[in-house]
Amino acid sequence: FRLGNRDQFILWEDEDKDYVLRDTMEDEPEPIDEQEVFDLIRSISDPEHPLSLEQLAVISASQIKILQNTVHVEFTPTVPHCGLSTLIGLSMRVRLLRSLPNRFKIDIKVKPGSHNSENAVNKQLNDKERVAAALENSALIEVVERCLSTANRRGSVVIESNE
Amino acid sequence: MRSHVGHTDVVWQTAWNPTKPLLASCSADKTVQLYSYTFTSPPLFSVATNISTDHTRTVRSVAWAPSGKALATASFDSNISIWEPSRDESWEDIDAEHIEWECVGTLEGHETECKSVAYSSDGTLLASCSRDKTVWIWEGVSTPKFILFIPTSKGKILVQPDAEFECLGVLMHHTQDIKHVAWHPKEQILASASYDDTINLYVDDPDDDWYPVAKLIGHTSTVWCISWSPCGNYFTSSSDDLTVRIWIRVKETRGDRWDCIKILKEHERPIYSVTWGKGQSGKDSLGWIASTGGDGKIIVWNIMGKGADIETIKLASLEASHGVSDTNSVSWCLHEGMENILASAGDDHTVRIWEVIPV
Repeated sequence: FRLGNRDQFILWEDEDKDYVLRDTMEDEPEPIDEQEVFDLIRSISDPEHPLSLEQLAVISASQIKILQNTVHVEFTPTVPHCGLSTLIGLSMRVRLLRSLPNRFKIDIKVKPGSHNSENAVNKQLNDKERVAAALENSALIEVVERCLSTANRRGSVVIESNE
Repeated sequence: MRSHVGHTDVVWQTAWNPTKPLLASCSADKTVQLYSYTFTSPPLFSVATNISTDHTRTVRSVAWAPSGKALATASFDSNISIWEPSRDESWEDIDAEHIEWECVGTLEGHETECKSVAYSSDGTLLASCSRDKTVWIWEGVSTPKFILFIPTSKGKILVQPDAEFECLGVLMHHTQDIKHVAWHPKEQILASASYDDTINLYVDDPDDDWYPVAKLIGHTSTVWCISWSPCGNYFTSSSDDLTVRIWIRVKETRGDRWDCIKILKEHERPIYSVTWGKGQSGKDSLGWIASTGGDGKIIVWNIMGKGADIETIKLASLEASHGVSDTNSVSWCLHEGMENILASAGDDHTVRIWEVIPV
């Protein structure tokens, strides 16, 4: 036996050519390495400090692993009872969902032993339904956007203008 | 300019109408799409109608009543809506393609995202579940075929016949988010799957309320989905622990026991959906199970055997069913002669139809 699918069976059509183009381009995967992923998330702001995740040592380049099309990100909460760990993890996930090509699956976990509720945090961050529901929550997405407002700095230090 | 056809966001689930050639799909775009198909080989699909729904967030689940005459939608906005054909024609005469669906009731009660909704086999009960850790059982009172117009100073106000579902019970026996509810195909037994890694089974006590008769422990992470075997003696569950399990009902004098008799480990990412259909392997087969998930694989097994002594024979498998995207759901076509047809829904905004073909 085999599973067959005929073209006319795909119940979807889109006049948005950009979408199709993007899809086609992904047929030639551009290589992405750990440093690239690190650059995408290192400058995300901590929800309660005016510092980046890198400055707080929440993440480091060595905590990112890419295996085929799966990106594993491990992060270290600042304190073992950090209540904002899921928010930090969610911000990283949103950043990677927006920036990485579709072909990448993303696993985000806290460093083993670094959080009192390690299993609960990991489970929530990797439950796609919980993530999808969280991203429909406007209050939550506002906080995530604030954390992500600095993400484009990619590690570079920005000198604030005096104006 | 061509008009837009299909979903514009993640598709979460599909459901085959039990009596008409209609397939429904629901999406994060808050709509339900209905497709009609021909009873040809292969069937040809076309878009029939689109229900924009009044849901304000993702429509996570769709379910047909056994009669096919009503559709229930469950949304992250925590509500359930019931849809029926707007014209008062006899169901048998209605042309599936041209039915207009209208909301005849909204069931409010859950505090947070509603994840799943299902009709009991006789169509009298509806079950729903939510992240609020509760399962609700609703009783359907037959729909009044009239609409009330109440005259007021601002003109006539339409009153939807909202009272046709009554809540019979709120079951609080999971400690976490509940992902899925599934009714037994013949009896009033309900199963629920949870983020707390367990499965609960409930029955109705004629003298009292609905209560849990079993809590099944075995999965080591979130249980995403449950599907009963057509005979009702088994069900299958799929999980974030990367296994599909098969459970058997063991009848005992003091009530039933449920044992796990098979663990299938073929997926590499969370298994979001599993479906058990009649299949086409003849009388000795217990039917076909298909599973799918975050790895995009669809795997089909033929289940052979009797009692606890069953054999699972892998019939077919397919990688990347929705390209690089996750596949969120699979469901077998219910129409006689088309038991080899499968619908899948994906993060790529598409619904795809597959057939299991002998080679």
